[in-house]
Amino acid sequence: MNITVWMATALILLAAILLPRVGLAAIYRSYRAAQEREQVEDALKHLLDREHQGRRATPESIGGTLDLPRAKTIQLIEHMEAQGLVESHGIELRLTAEGERWALHVLRAHRLWERYLADEARMPLNKIHGEAQKREHSLTEAQLNELDAALGHPTRDPHGDPIPSREGKMNRAEGMPITAWQAESPARIVHLEDEPALAYQQILAAGLRLGQDIRVIEKNSHRYVLSDGESEYKLAPAVASNIYVTALPESEMLKREAIPLAELTHGQRAQIVALDDSVQGFTRRRFLDLGLTPGTAIHPELANFFGEPRAYRVRGTMIALRNDQASQIWVKPV
Amino acid sequence: MSNTTITPNDIISKAESLRNNLSTGFRDEIVKSIYSEAEKVANRAVKTATDKRYDLDQKIDRLVTSPITGLPIMLLLLGAIIWLTVSGANVVSNAIATVLFSLGDLGRNLFTQIGIPWWLTGFLWDGIYLGLAWVISVMLPPMMIFFPAFTFLEDLGYLPRVAFNLDWMFKKTGAHGKQSLTMAMGFGCNAAGVVATRVIDSPRERLIAILTNNFVPCNGRFPTLIMLATVFVAAAFPPALTSFIAAGTVVGVVLIGVAFTFLMSWLLSRTVLKGEASAFTLELPPYRKPNIGRILYSSIIDRTIFVLWRAMQTAAPAGAIIWILANIHLGDSNLARMIADWLNPFGLLLGLDGVILLAYIIAIPANEIVVPTMMMVYMGAGMMINGPSSNNAIFDLLVNANGWTMLTAINLMLFALLHNPCATTVITIYKETKSYKWATLSVVITLGTAFLVTFLTASIAKLLGWV
Repeated sequence: MNITVWMATALILLAAILLPRVGLAAIYRSYRAAQEREQVEDALKHLLDREHQGRRATPESIGGTLDLPRAKTIQLIEHMEAQGLVESHGIELRLTAEGERWALHVLRAHRLWERYLADEARMPLNKIHGEAQKREHSLTEAQLNELDAALGHPTRDPHGDPIPSREGKMNRAEGMPITAWQAESPARIVHLEDEPALAYQQILAAGLRLGQDIRVIEKNSHRYVLSDGESEYKLAPAVASNIYVTALPESEMLKREAIPLAELTHGQRAQIVALDDSVQGFTRRRFLDLGLTPGTAIHPELANFFGEPRAYRVRGTMIALRNDQASQIWVKPV
Repeated sequence: MSNTTITPNDIISKAESLRNNLSTGFRDEIVKSIYSEAEKVANRAVKTATDKRYDLDQKIDRLVTSPITGLPIMLLLLGAIIWLTVSGANVVSNAIATVLFSLGDLGRNLFTQIGIPWWLTGFLWDGIYLGLAWVISVMLPPMMIFFPAFTFLEDLGYLPRVAFNLDWMFKKTGAHGKQSLTMAMGFGCNAAGVVATRVIDSPRERLIAILTNNFVPCNGRFPTLIMLATVFVAAAFPPALTSFIAAGTVVGVVLIGVAFTFLMSWLLSRTVLKGEASAFTLELPPYRKPNIGRILYSSIIDRTIFVLWRAMQTAAPAGAIIWILANIHLGDSNLARMIADWLNPFGLLLGLDGVILLAYIIAIPANEIVVPTMMMVYMGAGMMINGPSSNNAIFDLLVNANGWTMLTAINLMLFALLHNPCATTVITIYKETKSYKWATLSVVITLGTAFLVTFLTASIAKLLGWV
């Protein structure tokens, strides 16, 4: 009697531990596997990042980024080498073709998630990176393609970084060297050529960075002077030719002569010039649905005692907006 | 060249490659071209004469949104609707109750005559039928007055102006101005209020509106509040003032509910529903002459019948359970009494008593039957009853026979205001959110608040020696 009870208990315990998929051991194994996968993916992202920056990735840099002790880092790298994801060249580590493909997948997941969290879930911009960091490991290629399509195939994340395409191509904006830029108008830096490394170092040391809006204020055969409105940057022409720029987005140009809708005085008539680029996803669709398209006549018609919302007459109907929203619509008084 | 066939995959891959050449703003361009096309058609087909109605609209708008006249107009309209509902429904309720209850007597007598055992007769007629009759007679009349009146204001185009006036308060708590409309709807019925949150198009703000809707007392809870306000608060004043004091007390309770709505919205948007305010866009349509036929149809069919049907589905089993509890005797007590006695210490901790808690537990399906159930247990009856007919007799029954104090009355009002949504509302929350998590949270939040608040008032009152 007693022995049977003991044996039954032991059997049930054994089953609870060893059952495939639902047993404790299986749960622990899948937890460990997920954790390991996260580490591998974070390391791959680090390597890809370093390659884009033109800096060397080493075991130390991986350990530093992932916050791992040295022994664990070496173990991780050996594991990745065995899987054919990285190759050692002396102290330097490089991605294999397979490793790069996977790294781009994770990067794509991260940036698509950021787009989703910012546009659709309306999460504050300073929170999206951390949240995307957690979610980037969980999607398969097919799910990622679905997310991509649902978001309308965005090309950049909310920080302006390019999102890799499903084929794994980084959609870098083409741009042209600033030395070939003719116009007086401002231009946006879209790419910093990292070869030769010496020129690249000089550009970074000068304090120029991606996404900066600059203007050429002086150029001759031995130097270029660029300005972003606050500081001036002096570079040799050979170095400057490694800076690639494009025209500012059209809306950015239009904004220069426009004011936000919220700043119109009561009854002041105006024409919509553009929706701000920071308005994406849900909010932008809503604005467009309501007919707030460029060229539309609009004026504030009904004020609220408490300052907001304010109602605007547009296309014969009246639409109330809070000031946050009305500040994202650029108008030109007429 | 001659025998190349084009497969769907070719088209897809061609489209994919062409997509990269699109400028980022192509969606804006599409909408823009649709609108300019529509504008062209409209200009060709629509002639606008100088519009007198437009000027009138503007005048009305200035009146209803001005700080001096806007707020009073709003309160006046809301007050008028609630007064119309409460006083009008009272008469109709009594009439319906008389008819339904005498039908019940007929049925019971018929069953007894043809020799059906007393327990089956009791279970069917005094349990299930009485539960249904009670819910219909208390719930139907106010809804048939409230919903058409509310829909009238909706059709007129006035309601969006309310949202426009009040949005600044909701913005401060991270909610949406249209929540004011779903709250107003909640006065009619919280389940209908939850359905009405569909007008809020951003998910985060909509969830806030759903989870806090129950802090607005619905028609089913008004009778309890009015009874307590009349019997306890107003009784201390001269008879001439009774109805004003009672009305004032109920308004005060409603305002406490509104304060809790804001507090909870604020807490939610800083904890589980963190996020930025979504696009707030509110259309203020021109004023229109209401279409009476459509008002009646949409308020009676879409709202009243819909809500009543759901309430009946939950009231029938509740009626059965109440009857069973009152008619299973153990010794010289019945099951209902025993459970109430067992719950009593906990009830006293909250400034209530065991009977009140029992009534709330078995009245989870529909708040309308809380008072009849309480009266049933207090008077030791075998079925739900109306209680004594005069206010003095009710006062006597509650205070002298069952140990109520002023604290009991006040805490019961607070508890009725804050406690969990009725089963119908919880089911509606589940259906609207498709999530057990949010439905559960709606119960936890409200019940937690109710326990906490009544516990605090009871403790303070006892500490200060008021009871």
